[in-house]
Amino acid sequence: MVLFVCQHCDYKWDYRGENEHYATCPRCRYKVRITEDKVQMLRQKRWTWSSASARSGLDTAVKEKPVKLIGIAGIVNRAAEDYQYDKSMLIQILLRLQKDFGWLPMEMLVEAGKQLGISINQVYQVATFYKAFSLSPRGRHLIRICTGTSCKVRGAPTILEKVQSFLGINTGEVTSDGRFSLETVNCLGGCALGPMMIIDDEYYGNLKLLAVKRILSKYT
Amino acid sequence: MGPAKCIRSPKDLEELREEIKSKRKPSKSSISVCVSTGCVALGAPKVKDAFMAELEKQGLKDQVEIKETGCLGFCEQGPRVTIYPEEVCYFKVKPEDAPEIVSKSIREKKVVERLLYQDPTTGKRVKKLEDIAFYKHQVRLLLENNARIDPKNIEDYIALGGYSALAKALFEMTPEEVVEEVKKSKLRGRGGGGFPTGLKWETTRDAPGQPKYVIVNCDEGDPGAFMDRSLMEGNPHSVLEGLIIGAYAIGANEGFVYVREEYPIAVENISMAIKQAKEYGLLGWGIMGSSLNLRVRVHKGAGAFVSGESSALMTAIEGRVGEPRPKYVHTATRGLWDKPSLLNNVKTWATIPLIVLKGAEWFGSIGTPDSSGTMIFSLVGKVKNTGLVEVPMGIPLRDLIFKIGGGIRNDKKYKAVQVGGPSGGFIPEQFLDIPVDYDELAKVGSMMGSGGMVVMDEDTCMVDVARYFVDFLLEESCGKCIPCREGLRVLSSTLNDICAGKGKSEDILTTEEIAETMRESLLCALGRTAANPVLTSLKYFRDEWEQHIKENRCQAKVCKALIDFYIDPKKCQACQLCLNECPAGAIQGDKDQIHLIDQEKCIKCGTCYEICSFHAVKKLSGEPIPSAPKSMKPIRKLKGGK
Repeated sequence: MVLFVCQHCDYKWDYRGENEHYATCPRCRYKVRITEDKVQMLRQKRWTWSSASARSGLDTAVKEKPVKLIGIAGIVNRAAEDYQYDKSMLIQILLRLQKDFGWLPMEMLVEAGKQLGISINQVYQVATFYKAFSLSPRGRHLIRICTGTSCKVRGAPTILEKVQSFLGINTGEVTSDGRFSLETVNCLGGCALGPMMIIDDEYYGNLKLLAVKRILSKYT
Repeated sequence: MGPAKCIRSPKDLEELREEIKSKRKPSKSSISVCVSTGCVALGAPKVKDAFMAELEKQGLKDQVEIKETGCLGFCEQGPRVTIYPEEVCYFKVKPEDAPEIVSKSIREKKVVERLLYQDPTTGKRVKKLEDIAFYKHQVRLLLENNARIDPKNIEDYIALGGYSALAKALFEMTPEEVVEEVKKSKLRGRGGGGFPTGLKWETTRDAPGQPKYVIVNCDEGDPGAFMDRSLMEGNPHSVLEGLIIGAYAIGANEGFVYVREEYPIAVENISMAIKQAKEYGLLGWGIMGSSLNLRVRVHKGAGAFVSGESSALMTAIEGRVGEPRPKYVHTATRGLWDKPSLLNNVKTWATIPLIVLKGAEWFGSIGTPDSSGTMIFSLVGKVKNTGLVEVPMGIPLRDLIFKIGGGIRNDKKYKAVQVGGPSGGFIPEQFLDIPVDYDELAKVGSMMGSGGMVVMDEDTCMVDVARYFVDFLLEESCGKCIPCREGLRVLSSTLNDICAGKGKSEDILTTEEIAETMRESLLCALGRTAANPVLTSLKYFRDEWEQHIKENRCQAKVCKALIDFYIDPKKCQACQLCLNECPAGAIQGDKDQIHLIDQEKCIKCGTCYEICSFHAVKKLSGEPIPSAPKSMKPIRKLKGGK
């Protein structure tokens, strides 16, 4: 906030204008000279607002919520607001929604498109292109098995098969009781510990075939 | 942490550094626990908690500090704990070891021999890090500070001389001089392509158009590489400092850090680093009191290999589908939102402060004349010492694998090393003596890539690995260029056929033709190099391909359709382990009865082979299965074979 004091009537206000030479007092229309240090502050202020709002076409600093949004709209709105309705943040917003919600139902995608002013077509394109997004419900626990090169030469395929046969599902599917969903990832960056598996946020490195059953039965 | 102090001039920075140093007594003991992904996976958080509880119990809580630091690279031996000021490194520490370390190592200043690193060849315990064979041959410019810095605390970085390169660049050099210095250092892009960094900077600087952007590429999609992650987790401020210097040099005032979503700790640490740098006046409006303004934001990647390509990464930051686009005009001139954008890899950015601070000549003296400096490789696969190694460019490949890596696991035979992820090729034994730099690797058909080095031994089938890379790329191909989308599909089905024993003699020719076409005609570098694994595998291991097609034999015994499992009756101890574990119920036998595999039922999952503790299960390929003993009756009793 850049506070100005009118030298004529002592009125104080927050100046947000473009002019860098003088500001007009809203009460008495007196022209207040803008000193050099105030100019710096103004530029800094404008710079902090600028790029995001310029791209999304909204003035984020003055944007106000018209109504309180509830349900899915509310969830989407909270995420969108954190990213200042910036269109370029679509991927980040979807990631955040997915983290909160577990998966991305169609309604959520439509709503995200509406609120950001992006066509549903484009939202859908993004959501299907990236591997991290899931458009169908996931199980309670997410098993991710690394099939990177290092894990592969150390025997990840056997581990994957073991998990598949133990749970009776293929990669990308959910068990019928909704306990697990199984996915593979390309690299978890734990190459020195391969083969590697993550269940939710728990890492299991140097996996042995016999350990799989024991680990999986820990999760309910 | 005390209240943040805003740094407004180089003098402020020096004062702050002195203040931090005077607050810390060098003799004060501290325990540093590695909390990067590798060690966390092995249980580092529990170790840390155990130390905390133990210190409290022994009443040392105020005298000893516990630090969470970054990765030293020796992930296999984790969790790693270092005791300062003695600099004793303990490996494979378990929570139960905490009391012993605290009472012995910290109170009595003795060494716990049991937990020191044991040299696998001599069996000796090594106390100092520099004496471990894995570290002896390394030159650690970038990774050195990882173990001394708490990545979540900017003061640690400043105390070790951090941000002085930025002060030097901002107040003693003009932007042109910075670019000139980088050019003189002959630093080449560490992301894989090896494009001269200075030239890229100059192009962006001279390109018309405002605003300009600086971008950090931490979309490390290469399977088998994790050095960007480790640097981002362990020392995010060094990357940030490089980025700010870059922004100053080219005149940008907005920056992006693109990190994979699969690296949660890296995302957390860099976000924290940005926040702290802002508080200290090292980011934002008027950095260090100069006229440079820079805002940096973190973008998470959503899991797409192709997004690591520069133009694709930029479209991903714009919030669209990350597809590469034709680069008739380079991204340095028209990148993000069609504005000049400077994109560099994490390692490149982290090298910049060193160049600025110590000068281009010093940097040029390391490595070879054409590829200067050091490179971080992630040495993984079937080597004894796996982990991150930082070596000067031009080190012979043999030294890297056999001296630092300690040779092949279980003393098997070396077969090939795969350098540079899915874009790189295989390097067979006859080229082991080549020096490792950009040009030499390209000569043998591989490339530096991001520096992933996967070592393969005789148990790895080269056709199978080539198939793996093709399948990987098929899944990751964005589908924009037809030779990539369709070519990979055909390649994949051909290779799958060969691995399934249905190979035809013309398959090799078809494969070569498609691979050549892809190399010629694709838009992005990832696509153009996609055929490298197939081509090098064919070039150096053609006999193995021919064996698959003509003799239906897989030398390494990996391709499932070409192998059979067989239990050696002489070695079988009738322990029933495989019998119980076999998912298909294909193993017959009983207690005290030698087991047999029913070849009809066997699904070749390999479970029995993995778990047999007597090595009785054998893999056969291209040879007949010895006929089973006629009777299933007890032949020999367990332990009673006198």
